[in-house]
Amino acid sequence: MKKRPFAYRAPGWLGWALLYVIVPAGTLVLASLAGGQATPKGKPANKAKAAPPAATGKALFAKSCASCHGTEGKGGPAYAKPLRGTKSVTQLATYIHQAMPPPGKRTPTKESQLIAAYMHETFYSPIAEERRRAARVELARLTARQYRNAVSDLIDEGKPPLAESKEQGLEGKYLTGSNIWEDKNKVFERIDPGIAFDFGTQAPGKEKFDSNEFVIRWDGSVIAPDTGEYEFIVHTDHAIKLWVNDLQRPLIDRWVKSGNETEYKGTVRLVGGRPYPLWLHFAKAQQGVDDQKKKRPDVPAFVRLEWRRPGRGAEVIPGHLLRPKQAPSRYTVLAPLPADDRSMGFERGAGVSKAWSEATTAGAIEAARYLTANGAAATGVPENAPDRAEKLKAYAASFTERAFRRPLDPVTRRIYVDAHFAAAKDPVEALKRSVILTLKSPRFLYRELGGPNDPYRVAAELSFSLWDSLPDAALREAAAKGELATAEGRERHARRMSEDPRAAHKLKEFLITWMKADSPAEPSKSAKVFPDFSPAVMEDLRTSFELSLDQAVHSPEADLRQLFLDRRLFLNERLGKLYGYPVKGTGFQPVQATDGRRWGVLTHPYLMTRLAYIETTSPIHRGVMLTRNILGRPLMPPPMAFTPLAPSLHPSLTTRERVTMQTKPPACMGCHVVINPLGFALENYDAIGRFRTQEKGKPVNAAGSYQEKGGRKVAFSGAGDLARYLAASPDTRSAFTQHLFQFMTKQGAPAYGADTVPRLAKDFEMNRWNMRHLMVKVAVTAASAPTP
Amino acid sequence: MKYTSRREFIKHVGIGAAAVPLLGGLPSLATAAQAARRKQRLVIVFSPNGVVPKTFWPDAVGSPVAFKESLKPLEPFRDQTLILRGLSQHVRGDGDNHMRGIGCLLTGIELFPGNIQGGSDTPAGWASGISIDQEIRNFLQKDAASRTRFGSLEFGVLVPDHANTWTRMVYTGANKPVEAISDPYRMFGRLYGQLDDQDSLKSILDDLREDLARVRKEISVADRKLLDEHTALVREMEKELAQARTADVGHAVPKLEAGVRQENDNMVKLSKLQIDLMVSAFLTDACRVATLQYTNSVGQARFTWLGIGEGHHDLSHEPDTNEAAQQKLTKINHWYAQQIAYLAQRLADTPEPGGKGSMLDNTLIVWTNELGQGNNHTLNNIPFVLLGGGAGFKMGRYVNYENVAHNRFLMALAHAYGHRVRTFGNPDVCGAGPLSLS
Repeated sequence: MKKRPFAYRAPGWLGWALLYVIVPAGTLVLASLAGGQATPKGKPANKAKAAPPAATGKALFAKSCASCHGTEGKGGPAYAKPLRGTKSVTQLATYIHQAMPPPGKRTPTKESQLIAAYMHETFYSPIAEERRRAARVELARLTARQYRNAVSDLIDEGKPPLAESKEQGLEGKYLTGSNIWEDKNKVFERIDPGIAFDFGTQAPGKEKFDSNEFVIRWDGSVIAPDTGEYEFIVHTDHAIKLWVNDLQRPLIDRWVKSGNETEYKGTVRLVGGRPYPLWLHFAKAQQGVDDQKKKRPDVPAFVRLEWRRPGRGAEVIPGHLLRPKQAPSRYTVLAPLPADDRSMGFERGAGVSKAWSEATTAGAIEAARYLTANGAAATGVPENAPDRAEKLKAYAASFTERAFRRPLDPVTRRIYVDAHFAAAKDPVEALKRSVILTLKSPRFLYRELGGPNDPYRVAAELSFSLWDSLPDAALREAAAKGELATAEGRERHARRMSEDPRAAHKLKEFLITWMKADSPAEPSKSAKVFPDFSPAVMEDLRTSFELSLDQAVHSPEADLRQLFLDRRLFLNERLGKLYGYPVKGTGFQPVQATDGRRWGVLTHPYLMTRLAYIETTSPIHRGVMLTRNILGRPLMPPPMAFTPLAPSLHPSLTTRERVTMQTKPPACMGCHVVINPLGFALENYDAIGRFRTQEKGKPVNAAGSYQEKGGRKVAFSGAGDLARYLAASPDTRSAFTQHLFQFMTKQGAPAYGADTVPRLAKDFEMNRWNMRHLMVKVAVTAASAPTP
Repeated sequence: MKYTSRREFIKHVGIGAAAVPLLGGLPSLATAAQAARRKQRLVIVFSPNGVVPKTFWPDAVGSPVAFKESLKPLEPFRDQTLILRGLSQHVRGDGDNHMRGIGCLLTGIELFPGNIQGGSDTPAGWASGISIDQEIRNFLQKDAASRTRFGSLEFGVLVPDHANTWTRMVYTGANKPVEAISDPYRMFGRLYGQLDDQDSLKSILDDLREDLARVRKEISVADRKLLDEHTALVREMEKELAQARTADVGHAVPKLEAGVRQENDNMVKLSKLQIDLMVSAFLTDACRVATLQYTNSVGQARFTWLGIGEGHHDLSHEPDTNEAAQQKLTKINHWYAQQIAYLAQRLADTPEPGGKGSMLDNTLIVWTNELGQGNNHTLNNIPFVLLGGGAGFKMGRYVNYENVAHNRFLMALAHAYGHRVRTFGNPDVCGAGPLSLS
């Protein structure tokens, strides 16, 4: 698909002023280009309070103390012991005043206080120490996501991935008669973009065959967009059988049609971003004893294949997640892993719990059972192989080596593999023990323990950063050959890996998190105000939203700015009708919004609908998302819980007026001075994301503004300005970089050095905001950093 | 792939958050005090294709019973046997007699209309109600005193691996047929799988601790806290495993002959394996209700070890005048009676754990069939041969009811286990209520 050229993707980097001058519709006012601290009224005071003493104290410490105590009191030539302790600021100030510098001199009281405050805040106190400790790459266990991926990949080693294909949908074979396997009865085959058919009393298609006796075989794969429990639902008035992933046992077996039921369900756990084989068999025919002679009355027939994704509503499985080619079955972990810590704003493997320990035990047993029960299909070792014990031992060693992401030293090999094959009478039992031990080992369950120059650690850092999983064969080989010793080698492999669907999936997962669309709860809307809105519309919107993300993730440029500027929406007929863009044809189609009312996913009706109340918009939710996530500005929670003012209490006020009124108090304005003007810029999108120019008979006021970290203040009149600003803002780049870094590495970015994010953000800008390129850079940075 | 067995593993073994790595469920959940009331078990055994009346039914009602050729193997249990004749399926509706014969046998209610066409009559689907074994199971599971780990277990012998009206006897509800497990190794896995896993787990703990100590030395002091917490969790697991062992099953886990495949000629071995497993399950009080389904309605087992090469169903179509066929069918039913006798003997030889008498004294075996007679496909005179003291019925006799709806017998079963249902299955054929059998 062709991409729209953008004015500001002109060669080189263009300055702010120029940028906004050349945008024809731009009405942006650059209020303050001075870059000074033109602090507006109500700006949070605490920041100003903390900063100056630290700064001055820092200077004083550097001048008067560091020569003996070292920078940050780490210890120096004259006094080697680090300055750490539990004195309060006042106690410390008194001590400095009385005793420093030795011998017998005194530091003036005022200066002592400044130095003490600086020391206490920066390195002296236990709290400061703790704060500094956080900025270190910590030992972490695998997150639940990583654990599931890693175990699947361990067991599925060597299975070919499903090649990305442009063809979407399932392959359907349409046969006359009642025998699903009788290929000679095939009338035609075709690719069906989705399974939702109402045949009435007719035969499918134009070809002639008995409309009362036909069977259909749909084959292919389904791509799981996220990880979790999927409920597959088949609606039909006839007989069906459905297989998902496990092709040995149907997930739903209703080959016996019985009674009036027309809805059948089955649940299966799938891992996001991966394709799974799927077969659906349908029969409008009788089974059992053939009684062709009997005349049967004409009866109608329908069949519909739906699913409920984790935490979502039912929908017909959309065509863009179906493929006509069959992927290999995959191993999925069933053990219920507890959710990971997200207190830092990103999932990380912090802390172990009993629930986690039990889940990993269950996971280990499950995997061992699978490997021992499935014989050659799982391990490649036939039951009648003459050297079966040796082969199983070799398999166990390879399993452990892959699980630990490194070759086994003799002691490790003895503990994990050899000892079990020597002790157990039965090599299958030995394999079971070896696998359980391996999957319970800290060498598998924890992120890398090796030193910084260890090529295997580098390989694992790359693969976990980019895929949340283990290194593949090519990467293991590269590590063994020393190809990862150089920065170029690392980057070359990271680049290769960034082209893998697993990296694309990770990027998409990140974007969903970054845009705060990762919580499963979907809002409901007032049927009175939005009679055309329904749960089905909500599912359509999610699909439409994900298609937009796919577009950005898979495009060659992978340009983040597209997310704010692309005028294209993916709509189906139902959405087209609701949002005023006529859609022709079936399924989701790209629609160019040439009316200037749509700005990438920023104004996507899915986001706008989520960030709104059941009847009215929520400029605060929208503003908070923009402030925290897109622009990366930390916000404190409100000083106390507030209930939003009910619209009915102020029937004459617009949403903007009501929000302004409620957040007027100075205690609120500390944050709302930032939040509200961002949210207001999206006021043209109602609570289901339709464009509006009027609210309560008044024209919508979508003017907004933002003051950058650097101090520059910008003003917008509506979403277009806001989108253009976000697509050029240094704050967007920096926030995106920091969030992506943390999402990929599961570590705090500061742990990799204060300049890491600015450096990567700069590189991101120079490389035309290419998100995949940034992923490569993040992975290489993490892989090159020192370990705990 | 065996995803299903993994799913089952999770579901039945409960290897979820709560149960790993513990075996909490293995011993009965009932406490000693609650066990004061005697255990009552129910086993329903199915064999297909009707019987040969003249070699099956005794000549005279009452007692003592004079066993004829088909039932001869039950002679040692003469006083513990109750033979019921004259029970008939009064349920009508869709499906041929073989389908209704098995589908309505334990449910006492019509089949749904569907897409399975039999040899005659209209096509049908599954039964439209729960079967009596599951009804009783649910009743027993509701009470903590009689609740067991599984409630019921569904055993099969060579039940074909396709689901249709002819292969399913047990229903947990309308349109909810239950598959009988024909693979004794799969059944073993359900019963004892976690014990195996525990042993594997225990065997690796020393190694795990050893390596945790090695890893500890490799990481920074600051990171040791996390690893120490991990080590503490491993220690906790070890303690739990030790406790689980002390709460162990109290008897040796049965050793199964390895590698008996699902093949016609292994029927004798498979039957014995399944019966042995059932007795083991009762010993650990894993369930109080069990079913054992031999093949299926219209089953085509070939009893080659009896010198019979024809399929059972084909043979059952032969007219009464074919004396050779009658003799072969009699031999087949005689073999089935031997299986019942073996089960009864195993139970009789086993003292009731924590109770009085033998396990047979607290178990009722019901042996039944989908037809009265194979060659006329009658649903009248469905054989019900009862054995054991589990239901408190008056045993040691032969009763002929003359065409009574079998629903009334199903009700009598429920009542015998304390579940006083007012009707069961189709209420219209429940007539005067439960048969009085005690």
